[in-house]
Amino acid sequence: MLGFLIRRLGGAIATWFAVLTLLFFLFRLLPADPASLILDPKMTPEARDLLRRQFGLDRPLHLQYFLYLGNLLQGNFGVSFQTGRPVLETIVERLPPTLLLFTTASVLSFVLGAWCGRIIAWRRGSLLEGALVLVGLSLYTVFLPWFGMLILWIFAFQLKLFPLGGMLSPEVWIGEAGVISKALDLLHHLVLPLAVLTATMFAGSMLVMRASLLEILPEQYIMAARAKGLPERIVRDRHAARNALLPLITSFALSLAFSMGGGVLTETVFSWPGLGSEIVKAVVSQDFPMAQAAFLFLAGVVILANLIADLLYGYLDPRVR
Amino acid sequence: MRVFCKNKLGLLGLGILALFAAMAGVAPLLPALDPIYHPIEGMDPRIFTASPPSWRHPLGTDAWGRDLLSQLLHGAQVALLVGIVAAATAVLIGTGVGLVAGYLGGGVDFLLMRLVDVLLILPLIPLIMLLSAFLGRGMSIWNVVLIIGLLGWPGVARVIRAQVLTLRARPFVEAARAYGAGELRIIVRHIAPGVLPLSFVYMSFGANSAVFLEAALSFIGFGDPRTMSWGMMLQWCFKTGHTFSAPYWILPPGLAISALCLAFYLIGRAMEEIIYPQLRGWPKV
Repeated sequence: MLGFLIRRLGGAIATWFAVLTLLFFLFRLLPADPASLILDPKMTPEARDLLRRQFGLDRPLHLQYFLYLGNLLQGNFGVSFQTGRPVLETIVERLPPTLLLFTTASVLSFVLGAWCGRIIAWRRGSLLEGALVLVGLSLYTVFLPWFGMLILWIFAFQLKLFPLGGMLSPEVWIGEAGVISKALDLLHHLVLPLAVLTATMFAGSMLVMRASLLEILPEQYIMAARAKGLPERIVRDRHAARNALLPLITSFALSLAFSMGGGVLTETVFSWPGLGSEIVKAVVSQDFPMAQAAFLFLAGVVILANLIADLLYGYLDPRVR
Repeated sequence: MRVFCKNKLGLLGLGILALFAAMAGVAPLLPALDPIYHPIEGMDPRIFTASPPSWRHPLGTDAWGRDLLSQLLHGAQVALLVGIVAAATAVLIGTGVGLVAGYLGGGVDFLLMRLVDVLLILPLIPLIMLLSAFLGRGMSIWNVVLIIGLLGWPGVARVIRAQVLTLRARPFVEAARAYGAGELRIIVRHIAPGVLPLSFVYMSFGANSAVFLEAALSFIGFGDPRTMSWGMMLQWCFKTGHTFSAPYWILPPGLAISALCLAFYLIGRAMEEIIYPQLRGWPKV
């Protein structure tokens, strides 16, 4: 197990390192000169050179790369062109909301998907199966930002049940409110984006669960369980479903990765103050250090999720170690 | 083919796709009828604000008095083009890489697959946004298609490689080698035909994600402003503050994107079930 753990951990770090390197050269090699973005055209040439030297842009590319790596190791991700604050400060603020939204959504859709998948695998060819698959797939391929806006329109704009966006209401958080009312306020903001994400994601795990169950059904131990005279529900839940859950773990990590990539859209529509909306803001305002770091962290979260899924899989199914 | 017809969801997908193809086909008719129906340049001289459906404009107009029906029809053209060209690019590269990696194995395989791992990890939408920022705001639709195609291949490559690995071990490959077929001939004549059906499946899934990506990019403002795609229609609606006040503007393009994505996805699944009959089979109860 230890060897397996070390191999996977090494693989994850190597992947992150490759992403980092790729990103660095992408930012340096593409036509836009990073210096020209922070430099005011009215500056004197001397001032311009001084700035270039300060940012290390006058050195050769490979030296810049090592400089960048050294800075990263010290936790220095650069300074935002926009705000002048260290990038890391903003990231630390923006990471928790993203993690909160997407891990909850992934877990919810995982549970919902496994539950539905279990039911439809047992009733193949029924009307219920057709209906669930069609609804699930329609939501799976729906254009997410548009769907989000419709949900906002109905539940926030027309019915006024939920806030139109954001994560916190300032009046609750600045005032002397207790922990419970703060948590309720957060939950109140969380409901709509969470519902939209879960609805669009659960079909993935539902179909994997169904396929996985169908593969298990012809196995002999299922027949043995049936032959013992166990009720169908017990055969389904205790014997088949438990083993069928394994492939779902991989699909869980994949769906998390996918939803984080699409998180840019969800966060933009719901004005969720996470990493995704920060990337959009940074790219629009050409704040490259910010965009680069936010992207790096987003990729880091995805890699971490994959690593955890891999390790979990290895723990649950010793054959893959 | 008979199996495909039994798959109701697959037929539904084909039906939707045919509908959009027809829409794309009639798209040039409206502007030819009257220039006020041009999706981008045409503006109704009598209308200056977003207006609900009327006889003159069956789906209403946008904030500049441009006809929404004509934009929707034109969007079908754009979406089909984006979906098919981007997916074809991705599948072509992916199949090539998968064949080479799977057949050659060893160091080449290792390097290519690590590249696939890294590319699959990268969050796609933010990555394309970054690239588009470098290429300058307002890149052309062809740039968008190219980027989506060039970034879409890793998933295909992984699946094709796995398939090649199983084919390579089959006796017929050994037989071909035994009577002296060259490496290239084995790949092209004996292994490639075995993976092509899978490539077609991924072509369909790829078209689904390409349509989604183009729409998403246009929606957040990184698309081609000179092409009226469905995502761009939504972006205009959003940007001019009509999100909550003009349902006739916001509903059709979003519905169209979702339906086309669903169609490609359903067709892909139906083809997948033909290739892997066990997905289709009834469990032995």
